[in-house]
Amino acid sequence: MTNNQLSRRRFLAGIGGVGAAAVLGGCATSSSSSSSGGSTALVLQSSLSDAAPKAALTKVVEGYTKHKVTLNTIAIESFRAQLPTYLNSSNPPDVLTWYAGSVARDYASKGFLMDVSDLWTGDGACAGFSPALKELSTGTDGKQIFVPTNYYWWGLFYRKSAFQEWGVQPPTTWDEFIALCKTLKGKGIAPLTMGTGATPWVASGWFDYLNLRINGATFHRELLAGKHSFDGPEVKQVMEYYRELLPYFDPKGRSYSWQDAVTPLVTKKAAMYLIGAFITQSVPADVVDDIDFFRVPPINTSVPVAEEAPTDGYFASAKSKNPQAAKDLLSYLASPQAQQQFITLSKSSNLPTSPEVDTSGFSPLVQKGIKYLEETEAITQFFNRDSSDELQTTADTALTRFLDSPDEVNSILASWQAAAQKVFTS
Amino acid sequence: MTALAARNRRRVPWPVWVFLLIPAAVEVAWVFWPALNSFYLSLTRWNGLGPPEPVGLANFRDLLSDEVFRQALRNNVIWAIGFGGLSVLGGLALALALNRPRRGVGIYRSAIYLPMVFSLAVTGLFWRVLYQPDGAVNSALGGIGLGSLEHQWLADPDTALYAVLIAAVWRQVGYVMVLYLAGLKSTDPVLEDAAAVDGTTAWQRFRYVIWPQLRGVNTVVFAVTVIDSLRTFDIVWAMTQGGPYHSSELLSTYMFQQGFTFLNLGYSSAIAVVIFVLAIVFIITYLIRATRTEEAA
Repeated sequence: MTNNQLSRRRFLAGIGGVGAAAVLGGCATSSSSSSSGGSTALVLQSSLSDAAPKAALTKVVEGYTKHKVTLNTIAIESFRAQLPTYLNSSNPPDVLTWYAGSVARDYASKGFLMDVSDLWTGDGACAGFSPALKELSTGTDGKQIFVPTNYYWWGLFYRKSAFQEWGVQPPTTWDEFIALCKTLKGKGIAPLTMGTGATPWVASGWFDYLNLRINGATFHRELLAGKHSFDGPEVKQVMEYYRELLPYFDPKGRSYSWQDAVTPLVTKKAAMYLIGAFITQSVPADVVDDIDFFRVPPINTSVPVAEEAPTDGYFASAKSKNPQAAKDLLSYLASPQAQQQFITLSKSSNLPTSPEVDTSGFSPLVQKGIKYLEETEAITQFFNRDSSDELQTTADTALTRFLDSPDEVNSILASWQAAAQKVFTS
Repeated sequence: MTALAARNRRRVPWPVWVFLLIPAAVEVAWVFWPALNSFYLSLTRWNGLGPPEPVGLANFRDLLSDEVFRQALRNNVIWAIGFGGLSVLGGLALALALNRPRRGVGIYRSAIYLPMVFSLAVTGLFWRVLYQPDGAVNSALGGIGLGSLEHQWLADPDTALYAVLIAAVWRQVGYVMVLYLAGLKSTDPVLEDAAAVDGTTAWQRFRYVIWPQLRGVNTVVFAVTVIDSLRTFDIVWAMTQGGPYHSSELLSTYMFQQGFTFLNLGYSSAIAVVIFVLAIVFIITYLIRATRTEEAA
């Protein structure tokens, strides 16, 4: 039996080995060290996985020669899920792509983000950016934690040639807008298109805008921060206006994604689309020049004009091994040249955050967008960026239910408030 | 221990154990340990930052009062019955129909099995196109004069789950058919012929001669179907993402959303534990029953 005992001993040793492996693998709840980097090499973690923006950022990073930079591109869904792990690891990526707003502030308040205030003062890379952008990039403790590099605007997009064919003009007041919808519907055209099937968040676009136009940006921000109730009289009023619009939406939009809903606009079966400037990515190249937009008309003229302008950019990890180099990379990414190169190559209609970028080469649509945002008095981003992705799903549920059964608005708002309350207290 | 067994055991050379240990270690480190971790996480509140905070059974209590979770659980029951029932009935019927060698039967078999080679995500995207308001399903209904049945299949909370279910069954049916075809091949044709000579009807031959011989395959099909229906995720995610307003939510999609969109990792682990318990309960009861009848037989 000696042979047998020997093998048993080996077996026990093997069990020990398995245990050790299990300990090594059991990092799910502890911080793990991610891929190692040299002392001067920087890691730039990017969620820009669409072909054009990814190629653009690769080119921009190639132009940075001061330190070696490794660019990791991860699809946004995984990126979002793993962001806490990235920031919490002992060897985190130095610089990461993200959005300005409440999620970034949340991470900052937990001490995961690098204080980049010095980039916002003196001759720092962001010193010349607008005060609105600075406010967006500021954490709850008053320090800047974000470097915005581009942003875009929301508006009612339409085809100039279609409006000409139908003999209609972009409206400037709410009554004109409703009259326009009526006229178009009379011609057998869907006045509004909106893809709320695969992308229910699009329905929040109208909610945000109506709230901004009726109750103003301050109330809107407070509502999304949990300081007002979703079943209060203010939101009920917003839903009354929303309800007025319902007959004018293309009913097929319930099955569409936001991209699908662009098609009726392009084929002139639908007239207007409240969406972000990213719509130009989904429009055929020969139609892009025919696309124009106008402001959602004012409703309550006593509130200041506000627009949605979601802002993208970068932040740096507080635990970066190389804070100086990380800031240097951020400065480079925020520089006018890098911004211009990125915007041009990524084929988007995004606007540069740096006022020094030479915009004369940009399309007339983008130039109009720049002017449009300069004229606005307050800027919000979008429902999820001003609150959280979790609050966004409560809005998706409530608003798509409302689109289907507007008569149940009171019970819908009550359950929205209950769901939102759960998000705020969790 | 009989002498024979002892001799057999001694014959295993020690390097074999070492080689077996490597996959065992990998399995433990990458499967069992994370699985155990999710049991632990289900008793905590954790958003991926810092250490998890133990909250006892609070997550499970919250689940009980969570309207979306209950909807997802109901949908999972509908799904398990619909998906399991339809794919087993369809697969068995197709297998019986295509069992006998006949001209062109291979083409039919391959055509029916073909959807299985697509990933579920691709199947979902493909069916989403079919279900579009101007898609093939509505055009076909209009074409045969049933225009009144045209529908926004995936946008209507009353039909979304079933629309996804049909797409999933369309894919699964070929798989179940292949399993049953293999089972039918191993049945003894002499028994069937003898029964036919005795003047039995086709139904009697199936019920009393073939069906009892398919017991082994049935165990496999049952296990595969229960596991597949509980882990269904990709096709729902690709087609509706659980919407409109959670009407096609399954436990798996809700778990994914809670875990990876909202980063409520403790809560989503609690859902994972529920899924695990359901799967284990179903499969263990079935296996116990199956082995008992086998012993009795």
